[in-house]
Amino acid sequence: MDETTTQHATPHTVVDSRGSSCPGPITDLTLAYRRSKVGDIIELWATDPGVRPDLQAWARKTGNKVVSVDDEDGKIVAVLEIVKR
Amino acid sequence: MGERVVIVGGGAGGTILANSLDPKRFDVTVLASSPVHLFQPALLYVAFTGAHPRATRDEHRLLRRHVRFVQDAATKVDLTDKVVTTSSGARFGYDAIVVATGMAPDPSQIPGLAEVDARFGDYHTDLAQAEKLWSSLQAFNGGTIAVGQASPIVKCPPSPLEGAFLAEELVTRRGLREKTRMVFFTPYPRAYPSAPMNEVVEPIMRARGIEIMEFFDVDRIEPETRTIRSIEGDEIVYDLPIVIPPFVGADITYEPCDVVNEDRFLITDKETLQIKGVDRAFAIGDGSNLPTSKAGVGAHLEAKAVATALAGRPVRFTGRTHCPFDVGYGRGTFVIGSYDAPVVKARPSRVKRLMKMAFEWIYWISLSGVIEPVFTVYFKLTAPKPAPASGSVPDSSSSLT
Repeated sequence: MDETTTQHATPHTVVDSRGSSCPGPITDLTLAYRRSKVGDIIELWATDPGVRPDLQAWARKTGNKVVSVDDEDGKIVAVLEIVKR
Repeated sequence: MGERVVIVGGGAGGTILANSLDPKRFDVTVLASSPVHLFQPALLYVAFTGAHPRATRDEHRLLRRHVRFVQDAATKVDLTDKVVTTSSGARFGYDAIVVATGMAPDPSQIPGLAEVDARFGDYHTDLAQAEKLWSSLQAFNGGTIAVGQASPIVKCPPSPLEGAFLAEELVTRRGLREKTRMVFFTPYPRAYPSAPMNEVVEPIMRARGIEIMEFFDVDRIEPETRTIRSIEGDEIVYDLPIVIPPFVGADITYEPCDVVNEDRFLITDKETLQIKGVDRAFAIGDGSNLPTSKAGVGAHLEAKAVATALAGRPVRFTGRTHCPFDVGYGRGTFVIGSYDAPVVKARPSRVKRLMKMAFEWIYWISLSGVIEPVFTVYFKLTAPKPAPASGSVPDSSSSLT
């Protein structure tokens, strides 16, 4: 599900969780978080609307930052910045 | 000679697929490292009830006569030259390949877990480990039982909670409940990752006094202080740890190498089940990176979808899940969803638990494919409804389950 690109100043990982509702996008986010370092950007794509509150709860618990959450024609695009590991 | 199909792996998916292919059109070979086929859901009951089910069969006898079975471990799959190489040095050329290897436990990912696993056992590795866990539960006389998964990747999403439910039932039946603290830890935001199903099971856990530690992603275990620590900074001090190990894809080298991800799972199209960018190459079961539950029913339905694709008919795998879920005390439910439909809120009942237990013997018949029409009707009757535009979730009243 992950694709790491180098076109950004910091490592930018795209996590495509579209279509996943069980176990859900948070699984892919957790896996990406395990591999991340402080300063990394994780961009999560999802279609499960439940991801919105889950992301906020995840960020509160882990101390990381939700930069943005947008809806692009049914695709939820969340950008997260890893500020704590 | 028909089209040569090599199936790597002899689990549920590989066996059902092999038996589904028309012998007039296909020359089918199943390559598997073990001659023994394990009914994996039995491990739960071996570990938590001391059951002694007949959980294994000879794989060769589960395959139809036209299928060639070779006991040998694939070590390299060259998707460019269409050759599979095995540990014995044998080479198998093919016209189409289906990788159905499943996934393997990898306790080495978590410091301290291998030691804990070796001492207490677990219920996801094999029968010996499940029997060891049963012995550990028998030896338990009070204290803290900590149940959970060490990684977000797990076989059968209900199984971590099933372990907690059955452990709680066991200590209650043994008269140890007053002396036992039950803790369930999970990397997810809630006890069950899918919110509708969590609304069903979390109240049951709380009613039974099972503490839930959400967002507990295991970082390491310190056996000397009996402590499990999470990446998020929390800790649990245990007397009996029941930890589901992380999993990785099979130890196979692929050419090209970029068809697998960091954990060796095959990058697979979620609807066609085709391995990334390779014609006549598919992945089914736990060894793929599909965004759906890793469970036997998935392997079953993926095998049927690939059989259809190999026969040249259009097919779309829907991501359907239908996972049985034992909540203890003789009740069970099912987790039902798909790519198009959110998980259904299905309440536990004794009938559903009986259906789960009946599947233990239906499983062996299902591998042959002879009762496939029954499954087709059953899955159709229990199909979840597609998600409404608003994104709200359906209630159990709209489901046959």
